Amino acid sequence: MVMRRLLGYLKPHRKTLICAFILLLLATGAEVAGPLLAKIFIDDYLTPGIFPAKPLVFLGGAYLGLLLAGVVMQYFQQFTFHRIALRVIQQLRVDVFGKVQHLGLSFFDRMPGGALVSRITNDTEAVKELFVSVLSTFVQNLVLILGVFVALFLLNVELAAYCLVLLPLICGLMVVYRRLSHRAYREVRRKLSELNAKLSESIQGMNVIQALRQEGRLKREFGVTNREHYLANMQTTRLNGLLLRPAVDLIYLLTIMAVLTFFGIGMEESAVQIGVLYAFINLLDRMFEPVNQMMQQLSFLQQSLVSASRVFELLDEERLAPAREGSGNPEITRGRIVFDNVTFSYDGKTDVLKNISFTAEPGQTVALVGHTGSGKTSIINLLMRFYPLKKGRITIDGVPLERYRDDELRRKMGLVLQDPFLFVGTVEDNIRFHHPDLTDAEIREAARFVQADSFIEKLPKGYREPVGERGATFSSGQRQLLSFARTMALNPRILVLDEATAHVDTETEEKIQEALSRMRKGRTTIAIAHRLSTVQDADLILVLHRGEILERGTHQELLAHQGLYHKMYRLQQGMEESQTG
Amino acid sequence: MRIFRDLWWFFKQEKKSYILGVGVLLVVALLEIFPPYVVRLVVDAIEGEKLTTGFLLKWLTLLAVAGITMYILRYFWRILLFGAAFRLGQQLRGELYAHFTRMSPRFFNRRRTGDLMAHATNDVQAVRVTAGEGVLTFVDSLVLGGLVVLSMAVFISWKLTLIALVPMPFMAWAVGRYGKWMHERFLKAQAAFSDINNKVQENISGVRVVKAFGREEAEKRSFHRLSLDVVEKNISVARIDALFGPTISLIVGVSFFLTVAFGAVYVTNGEMTIGQLTQFTLYLGQLIWPMLAFGFLTNIMQRGRASYDRIRSLLNVEPDISDREGAVTRPASGEIRFNLSRFTYPEAETPALHRVQVTVPQGATLGVVGKTGSGKTTLFRLLLREVEGPPGSVSIGGIPVEEYTLSALRSAIGYVPQDHFLFSATIRENIAFGRPEATDGEIERVARLARVHEDILRLEEGYDTLVGERGVTLSGGQKQRLSIARALLLDPEILILDDSLSAVDAKTEEKILESLRKERAGKTTLIAAHRLSGIEHADEILVLEDGAVIERGTHRELLEQEGWYAWMVRRQYLESLIEKGGGADGDEAVARLPQTSS
Repeated sequence: MVMRRLLGYLKPHRKTLICAFILLLLATGAEVAGPLLAKIFIDDYLTPGIFPAKPLVFLGGAYLGLLLAGVVMQYFQQFTFHRIALRVIQQLRVDVFGKVQHLGLSFFDRMPGGALVSRITNDTEAVKELFVSVLSTFVQNLVLILGVFVALFLLNVELAAYCLVLLPLICGLMVVYRRLSHRAYREVRRKLSELNAKLSESIQGMNVIQALRQEGRLKREFGVTNREHYLANMQTTRLNGLLLRPAVDLIYLLTIMAVLTFFGIGMEESAVQIGVLYAFINLLDRMFEPVNQMMQQLSFLQQSLVSASRVFELLDEERLAPAREGSGNPEITRGRIVFDNVTFSYDGKTDVLKNISFTAEPGQTVALVGHTGSGKTSIINLLMRFYPLKKGRITIDGVPLERYRDDELRRKMGLVLQDPFLFVGTVEDNIRFHHPDLTDAEIREAARFVQADSFIEKLPKGYREPVGERGATFSSGQRQLLSFARTMALNPRILVLDEATAHVDTETEEKIQEALSRMRKGRTTIAIAHRLSTVQDADLILVLHRGEILERGTHQELLAHQGLYHKMYRLQQGMEESQTG
Repeated sequence: MRIFRDLWWFFKQEKKSYILGVGVLLVVALLEIFPPYVVRLVVDAIEGEKLTTGFLLKWLTLLAVAGITMYILRYFWRILLFGAAFRLGQQLRGELYAHFTRMSPRFFNRRRTGDLMAHATNDVQAVRVTAGEGVLTFVDSLVLGGLVVLSMAVFISWKLTLIALVPMPFMAWAVGRYGKWMHERFLKAQAAFSDINNKVQENISGVRVVKAFGREEAEKRSFHRLSLDVVEKNISVARIDALFGPTISLIVGVSFFLTVAFGAVYVTNGEMTIGQLTQFTLYLGQLIWPMLAFGFLTNIMQRGRASYDRIRSLLNVEPDISDREGAVTRPASGEIRFNLSRFTYPEAETPALHRVQVTVPQGATLGVVGKTGSGKTTLFRLLLREVEGPPGSVSIGGIPVEEYTLSALRSAIGYVPQDHFLFSATIRENIAFGRPEATDGEIERVARLARVHEDILRLEEGYDTLVGERGVTLSGGQKQRLSIARALLLDPEILILDDSLSAVDAKTEEKILESLRKERAGKTTLIAAHRLSGIEHADEILVLEDGAVIERGTHRELLEQEGWYAWMVRRQYLESLIEKGGGADGDEAVARLPQTSS
């Protein structure tokens, strides 16, 4: 099943594949033709006393010509197979990466990032081994064996027919070896991962081990696994010793014996064909190396198939990102947001939002405040359509959220995340973020608008300054300003802010606050606020607690109410004063 | 060759395996000359029409005996040589592990886990290959190759041998050359692969941003570009890779051609029989492998040497904290005294602690509070000797900690670190980690003390539930309580709780501390906490800031001082109110907050 699906990836390369096959057949033909020429030479021309100068030149020339042609074809054939394999893997990678792009956040929540990366890169790399070495080894060697048999039949039909007995014998050996080695290698891998797990755990928890004085016991336990790993390795060594090269060589010797017997006995009846005998032995010699090579690939084959099945599992994943429902192309023009009795749960068991209702009129700012886990982020996740909504309704400009096209939503709603994510590239790349239609002037205007231009222009390469992994070379304030610029470059109608908690220096902080208030002007804004001082001018403040709106109103109204908001406000005031005073 | 000298100690240790293994290998090599010889005899007999059934039977029987003998011997040298190599791997891995257990936290802080793992896996693997396949290819290429050449020269024709060998050095040269080209291109392909890996990593960790901006298609395009680069770099590898096979075919073909052509001359002038020529070409086939092996050998030895050097240099790191000569072996006991004028971490510039003088009488409780990084953990680590302070600065029962053996010191201390660490084992095994022989009753008792017993019973498999990386996920609070149970099982003279209850709710914390006070009467306890309610009952409380004591006294005294401690107590009270969703009470604390800080 997995194998058939993998082979399906070869379809677009059918023509090249056929060419490679023809080259392979020709090259193999040339390879087996060599001994045939030698046979003709030895049989027909070589007799003690008379030097066969003319046939030697003629046949020798043919031999060398064939050799050269065969070698050239062999090169191109191998290279072509390799190239096809690489293209196949590229397609597989692009497919799986593309698939992952369209999966919903609910999928990412459950799948550890490291494991996902490993599926897309390492597992496909393991499949590459299947196409590059395993498949090409099998194809080449099978053709070679076929070629040898063709040659054998040309030489002597009767003997060649007897040699067919070899095929089931070798196949049987392969089947037995594959079955046994699969089990043995799996045991080795299991023990190795156990060993590695123990080792990495011990390295990470060494202070606990030492504090509890368990070094001796753990050393012994590690020793036990270490020894089991050794024993598992010895098991595969034994298996390889019994069934791989030594066994194949033994079969080869038995075959030689049979051939000698055949010719020895047949001698009395027909004219002696020393050349045939020579060619037979020589060809058989060539047949057994491919058998050895194929057998050595068997354990890799198994591993590649396991990796492939993991990749396909990801390709078949069904937790897709919520997509548009219904038809038409509604547009966001004013930016009026309504949450109507929204209840939401990530796992279907515990509700993280309960009956949330509020309205953000065009141009208004709605601030969400509350303790960790109160549901602020979930509101944003729903508004951004990161998760499907099951209970309640969210509308923008009177149209249900799910009716909007993806690009309309993404273009008109600007999200600024708490952790400003910068990626590898230049400053400009980070602001542009794959929007080729943005002009340089628009990029610079966005930077100027959030006041990031002053520090960008001081960089040695300005807008072309390289950004390292996660933007580590920039301060957290600078990273935030850059992510603001990225959002503002698109000039969104609606702004969704997840305010950063990271502390930045006062000067940058002022810039950030100023940029934020400029950004909010004229745009409907939904903001998560950690510092209450930043949302005092909000049109509506929602105080969330355990998924419910506990208090709502403006800053003044809420203070007058003397409830939870009031306490939070006083607490933060105290903190700020203790920091500045 | 140096790697073989470096590993000589091991070859000596495994004398029997290596001498026998190489011996058997040589016998097999000798036997391999036999089949072509029989082929020649029979061919010649057929040619001369002198073949009799008896003759054929005799030689075929001998051939069969040789074949079966070879099969058995080939099996045995594999077991002997590869077995020894696997034992080397096992031994090195064991040594590394033992070495790690002697190292102080400083050693682990300065190295990444991934790197240490790589030494114990990849490097050990490379050395293992050198001691197994390396020795094999060494014997194969030099001894076997030499033997085949010798028998070709001695038994058949030295002239034809020389002729046949003319193209062979070119093969060795070409293979070496290709290897070098491959290596360069391979590195580029690796770099391209790591680019694509980083791209995926970035995409996955930035998935929310990508989705928020709707840039999925653009990301796909950029991934597509990178994946094309991987293909391109790998194709350039394939270009060289595909050269190996054809080159070998070419050289072998030319060698065969020369052999048959010149052989024809020798056959015509009677220097050779046709059978000898046939035999000769069979030998020639046997030479291909030794020539290739020589190419591999240099590669294997280079890698083995680099890896072995890395392992050795790791094993040569001396533990920076170890037992003194004549150290006290009796478990530490008595009052704890810190008399530190200054302590600075080896790599740091500013001191982590300065002027800390405190005495904790036996049976007393010391509370330590302060912001993150104020030096609380450093204080405990000095006591545990995880880091080495100035001599005599920390003592237990009047004896400096460095005068105890590590075992004597640590046997007296139950330590619950800040970053609770559970092992991939059952809950029972985790609690009994420091005393594997503990009975179920004892384990249950400490689990009750740590208020985690009920939680455990709620799990499907109770005390037999697997935790850690591959087990069930416990909450932070549950993990912390398990760590506490683990320390309590030792019933230590000194218990250190380093912010060990931060993820436990205040009510449970209070209950745990209360039962500890009862249970551990007469025993010393050191507690660091962010939540101040946890240390209210301490006999003395130290407030640390930037490594120095800024306030000290009992809870009551500190409240009266109206300093950082008093301000923090009120703040935390208010926070707890907000966590509960607010209410009318607590206004007093609210009112006093701003004033205390001004």
